[in-house]
Amino acid sequence: MRNQRSVKQEFLRKWITGLRRYSCDEKKNMSFLERKKAIKLSADIAMASTRDKTTRWSQALIANASSSGDTLTGSSKNNSSRSRKKMLMMRRRRPKVKSAKKEMSASCIAKRLVQKRTRKLKNLLPGGESIDEGCLVEETLDYIESLRAQIEVMRYLVTASQLIINPYP
Amino acid sequence: MGDRENFEVDRDRDRVNYSTSMASDWRFGVGNFANSMVDSYVTNFWDHPNSQNLGFCDINGGSSNMNVIGKDGFGYGRGSHDHRTLEMGWSHASSVLKGDNNAFLPNGPAMLPQSLSQFPSDSGFIERAARLSCFGAGNSVDMVNSFGIPQSMNLYARIGGTMQGTGDALLGHGLRSAALGGQSHKSDPNVVEDAKDDKEMTLQDDKRSENLAVSHDEGKQALGGSANESDRAESSGRDDSPMLECTSGEPSNKGLSSKKRKRIGLDADKDKVDGSPEQPGAAVKDNSGSRQQKEEQQPAPSTKGSGKNAKQGSQASDSPKEEYIHVRARRGQATNSHSLAERVRREKISERMKFLQDLVPGCSKVTGKAVMLDEIINYVQSLQRQVEFLSMKLATVNPRMDFNIEGLLAKEILQQRAGTSSAHGFPPELSMAFPPLHPSRPGLIHSTLPSMANSSDILRRTLQPNLAHLSGGFKDPNQLPEVWDDELHNVVQMTFPTSAPPSCQDLDGSAPSGQTKTEP
Repeated sequence: MRNQRSVKQEFLRKWITGLRRYSCDEKKNMSFLERKKAIKLSADIAMASTRDKTTRWSQALIANASSSGDTLTGSSKNNSSRSRKKMLMMRRRRPKVKSAKKEMSASCIAKRLVQKRTRKLKNLLPGGESIDEGCLVEETLDYIESLRAQIEVMRYLVTASQLIINPYP
Repeated sequence: MGDRENFEVDRDRDRVNYSTSMASDWRFGVGNFANSMVDSYVTNFWDHPNSQNLGFCDINGGSSNMNVIGKDGFGYGRGSHDHRTLEMGWSHASSVLKGDNNAFLPNGPAMLPQSLSQFPSDSGFIERAARLSCFGAGNSVDMVNSFGIPQSMNLYARIGGTMQGTGDALLGHGLRSAALGGQSHKSDPNVVEDAKDDKEMTLQDDKRSENLAVSHDEGKQALGGSANESDRAESSGRDDSPMLECTSGEPSNKGLSSKKRKRIGLDADKDKVDGSPEQPGAAVKDNSGSRQQKEEQQPAPSTKGSGKNAKQGSQASDSPKEEYIHVRARRGQATNSHSLAERVRREKISERMKFLQDLVPGCSKVTGKAVMLDEIINYVQSLQRQVEFLSMKLATVNPRMDFNIEGLLAKEILQQRAGTSSAHGFPPELSMAFPPLHPSRPGLIHSTLPSMANSSDILRRTLQPNLAHLSGGFKDPNQLPEVWDDELHNVVQMTFPTSAPPSCQDLDGSAPSGQTKTEP
């Protein structure tokens, strides 16, 4: 759907910018976990920012990051918190109709299965709890695409870094 | 077309045959269905011998058309992406059909005038017939489904209702089969605004829906749509004039969604048909079957509510249809706005699930919403875990958090053999990203671009500045373009695959030399 190449480029650019902010701050020696968190966070934020807040998951990601006091989000904090509140208020518009009687009909069972999985998917997605089901699939699509691009870029960096360490295996 | 009208006209009588044949044969293929159709309708055949052939051939053509269109791109009904292109899609479909059934198709348009003349002059009816005549053979599939002999003026009302129903069904179908979500958004307002117009618009809806049904990659859906259409026509065929003139945004929308639902029910094999949507659809089918058996032209809600439709929504929807014609809900389907909007929403969701199927590996053979959701959840979880793992790996590899990008990439180029790494997809993208970002070394960049074939020179040039930075961490953005010159080298390797081995050898050959140059 989207131009994967440009997405990856943009992601890498933003990610390196974010990472550089960490590496500029050379005074503290970050622990392994801190480093990993910083890397992942900057990668996630970079990925979310490539969407320019067009998708809910990206907004939620940035909102979560900013609320946890991350230094990278900066100016986007206000916008993301506002949008986050909006998302939270957009709770399930369609209340699930729970049948009072215990219908063991196949359709009810199937519906329940689907509902369970939908809930699980919503929990997986950042900011997915307050997503309307109609948009859930769209958001998931977008999120999967972004994750794949992110993984490819990260894998590339990993192999490149490893090659530096072990130049000629 | 007159044939179509005739087909639609006598639904009541043929409903038994129709539904049973549909139920039993449709799943086995359109050919079987066509045969059964011909068998069941031969007695009811209108006095147009050609029309039957036309219907039959149209079925074949329609199905082949559907197959053809289905193979296109996404496998959805490409020809029916949105309303605005429906006519165009139809023309495409008709052209395809003509390729398939040259012998029969030309009869179609020619048939119309004759059939038209045989009907009493009902202005709206003829108008609709004229509109229908411009449909392709695909539409005739739907028409054929509701094949029947005209019996009275009542039939015309039903035809009108049918047309609208078809339109709704096909519209819903189009919503479902729209390849892109955006198109479905388009179609929703289209439905509304069309419905608000006069019967002309409903006719358009029918047209579109028929096109959609035709162009769907699975003929079943078209058939289901036509079945829905016949149901709707029958249910709404109480009053001639109101039926013919009824339109409103929401009812047509409702009818549309109800048709979609029935279509879903009929398509047992469709991957997006879950247990729950299937059940109502099957129940709807049973409902229609039972209705046909009773041969009621105006089945009361109570009759519909008889046991077979236990799983249906509110079934007291038929009586409102008498005076509220534009409510195009299927029989046994709730006609209140909520349930119909629900159906539209469900259609949209199933559309998007199709996209997800393409995206998630190993999902193409999965049928059913729950299983697919399972796969999607697993995939998202695995992707998230991969991100975590890779960030951990990066943290271990880079103890100082200095991401010497250019160094990394230079090394990778050195190590890279032709056709090996995952970076192949990556470097051209990066090379395109960064040179415009950092014009600091334009000379280097520009020189590399024209001399793409001169891989060894490029490598030497790019390696020298890069190797100088390998020792220390870099924070200088200006150095990024050098890295991407290396990537340009990869681009060269990739874009000139024939020269890849020699360029690779150049790489290997020049790399040590380059290094020896810079590291005395």
